[in-house]
Amino acid sequence: MAEAHSLENPRLQHHFRNADQQFSSSKLGMWLFLFTEIMFFGGLFVAYIVYRAWNPELFTMAASQLDTVLGAVNTVVLIGSSLTIALAIRAAQTDKQKQIVNYLLMTILLAGVFLVIKYFEYMHKFDLGIFPGAYYTFEGIDHPKANVFFSIYYMMTGLHGLHVVIGIGLMIWLVVRAKMGDYSSKWYTPVEMTGLYWHLVDIIWIFLFPLMYLIE
Amino acid sequence: MSSHHIIPMKTLISTSLALVVLTIVTVAVFYLPIPAPFDVVVALLLASFKATLVGMFFMGLYYDEKFNTVVLMFSFLFFIVFIGITLLDTLFRDSGISVW
Repeated sequence: MAEAHSLENPRLQHHFRNADQQFSSSKLGMWLFLFTEIMFFGGLFVAYIVYRAWNPELFTMAASQLDTVLGAVNTVVLIGSSLTIALAIRAAQTDKQKQIVNYLLMTILLAGVFLVIKYFEYMHKFDLGIFPGAYYTFEGIDHPKANVFFSIYYMMTGLHGLHVVIGIGLMIWLVVRAKMGDYSSKWYTPVEMTGLYWHLVDIIWIFLFPLMYLIE
Repeated sequence: MSSHHIIPMKTLISTSLALVVLTIVTVAVFYLPIPAPFDVVVALLLASFKATLVGMFFMGLYYDEKFNTVVLMFSFLFFIVFIGITLLDTLFRDSGISVW
């Protein structure tokens, strides 16, 4: 009974046995949310699979419009950002307050690089008339369903990009709180949760890259 | 046992390096002439292995309570069910089933 006293850890909620169980519960809750995210993107992956099975030659032709180098660079950028956010969590676990802020800022920077590269990719496509859905006007792909590939491309990379933007927002909030000294080895749950979210964003791109860019 | 395992720096760095190498391998394999559908299979196997590394060592599943991994496995299971049942429809639409 005594260990549940909030004087020990002001962050401890009364309905948990101890801070450790509370942290475990938070992680489980986050994993359940990530389950829903996997199903969310899963729907789009199913659309991809169905249309690729129906029009394999279309996907080969259309994917040639995507820049493999930029896609690969973005993949490495996100892998780097996963490392930096893992290091931010490590900094919180080892009570290195300044490092938490620095690693979070590095993660935000890398996420920004990802978005900038995607911006140039989208702009190049818009120049060619490759727009989503009904606005598609590009004539360079000799297939009646050419717009379908790009609708799927824009939906998937767009939703993924939105998740990157949300992640940046979360991390900015974390930087604000970290600068106030809110995180330490005693309590850093929001950093851990955001880290898990960010790693999933990385994993989704790890699958998007070969499926969109590397089609022969 | 604490649920606050601090993942060793060496593990984080070597996982990152492995991921970068696997990315290079993925692109290199793309330029090899592999007959369909095995080119997709190889690409997906590589991607799955990379995702496993991220899950185990960046997200900490290797050190966590096993139940978190069970949750993740269930999400894959349901994703496969999702694909499978959808394909049961879409792959057989022109099967020439004679109409009554």
